Amino acid sequence: MRRIYLDNNATTPLSENARRSMRAIIELFGNASSMHKDGRLARQAIEKARANVAALIGAEPSEIIFNSGGSEANNTVFNILAERDFGNRNEIIVSAIEHPCVLASAQKLEKKGWKVWHAPVDEKGKLRISEFNKVLNEKTALVSVMLANNEIGTVQDIAKITQLAQKAGALMHTDAVQAVSKIAVDVKDLAVDYLTMSAHKIYGPKGAGALFVRTGAPFLPLIVGGHQENGRRAGTDSTLGVVGFGLAAKMAKNMIEKYQKIAKLRDELQRQILKKIPFTTVNGDGSLPNTLNVSFAGAEGESILLALDEVGVEVSTGSACASGDGKPSHVLMAIKADPELAHGSIRFSFGLDNDMKDVNYVMRVLPEIVWKLRAISTVKIGDKNE
Amino acid sequence: MNDWIYSDKVKQHFLEPKNWLMGEENQFDFNARGLVGNVVCGDQMLMLLKIEDDVIVDVRWKTYGCASAIASTSVLSEIVKGKTLDEALAVSPEEIAENLGGLPKHKFHCSVLGDQALTKAIEDYRGDQK
Repeated sequence: MRRIYLDNNATTPLSENARRSMRAIIELFGNASSMHKDGRLARQAIEKARANVAALIGAEPSEIIFNSGGSEANNTVFNILAERDFGNRNEIIVSAIEHPCVLASAQKLEKKGWKVWHAPVDEKGKLRISEFNKVLNEKTALVSVMLANNEIGTVQDIAKITQLAQKAGALMHTDAVQAVSKIAVDVKDLAVDYLTMSAHKIYGPKGAGALFVRTGAPFLPLIVGGHQENGRRAGTDSTLGVVGFGLAAKMAKNMIEKYQKIAKLRDELQRQILKKIPFTTVNGDGSLPNTLNVSFAGAEGESILLALDEVGVEVSTGSACASGDGKPSHVLMAIKADPELAHGSIRFSFGLDNDMKDVNYVMRVLPEIVWKLRAISTVKIGDKNE
Repeated sequence: MNDWIYSDKVKQHFLEPKNWLMGEENQFDFNARGLVGNVVCGDQMLMLLKIEDDVIVDVRWKTYGCASAIASTSVLSEIVKGKTLDEALAVSPEEIAENLGGLPKHKFHCSVLGDQALTKAIEDYRGDQK
């Protein structure tokens, strides 16, 4: 059966280039910290990758710390606060729609006595700057706001938020895992102190990521006991993962235009869904070019997902039933009050391999699936929606 | 090999549910009705029974919810058809789950909800009879 992968925000496949680069060095077993030749060869491969990753976001290679991925990078930033003396600054601001690893990291600090503010977003998922300003003050140590949201694709004005944060004397972190490669990301423009990246969202391997730390920004390692990454992240270098990441980063340099074409596919799917399936709403503002999040009133998300999967279409949902913890997506709850619409949400996240045939195929199968689930459903749509 | 997320039975009842009510409630001649759960929590089930001489002669249902919720109501409708009311009341959530080839822990409440819908319908009927 034809498989159409529309879950690229969850992960992307390994690109042919990344695959080739990894295959080429798979025999390169030397420890990059060793002084002998095998070690030096591994070191060279890693430093080449570092240069590519740094170039992708306009950073200096020395500002890139390789690690296991986005969650580790985000945890590392919050760990700096836990272990370092910030004097009178004992408050943190995160947006209400951050990735769970940021929210959980903030919660850990809250238990240690830090004050954590969850800055609200508007109905499109944009940070409410006026509300943000109300909680930003001379006690704020860190502001952490994601660049692009993984569920609804809303992009924040990080440059502006950074300016406000730094004016208040706070450090600024952005989780750019979903944004990198899809939109322009340059640490000089954003002026952030910390930025999180992940390899597997840009056609690189899983288990590899990086944290950008601006030169001079406070830092403490999360994983200690080794001099790797200039003492900033202990543990033997993962040559294979880093090399794949480096190649993926090199290729990602030219992806923004490609994603502009992908945006046209996304827009067409959105247009057709809204036209052909009634009682449907779009979540988010569409600023990330590949992401479309739609709520179907009266049909539950996990059911839609599994029915689509049966006919070869792979998507994700913000439904409580699929979350494992019984709660609907906190992102969807933050942008609108109606839990029913959160339960009925489906995220289509396009990748560079998708084409218009995929959109047409989805539109051949999706209306009937939604129709049938609504027919089975107890919910009478139209009673309260629209 | 089964590579589906739940059991084959759940898949079967989810993809081809049995005895579900197409259209409005007035499309089915019933004399017992049970509605449980709520949409805010993510699942709601409606069970409609046609009871003759203390026997469930026909069933229709509607469910808003995930695959396991739909499958639970579907398999329950097959279990209770032809049962007396007392026999139907004796059906447990465990029995529903068993008939589905098992449910994962976090989906067990789907079978509980199905059982509640059935119980409510029968109680509704018996209340009317008094």
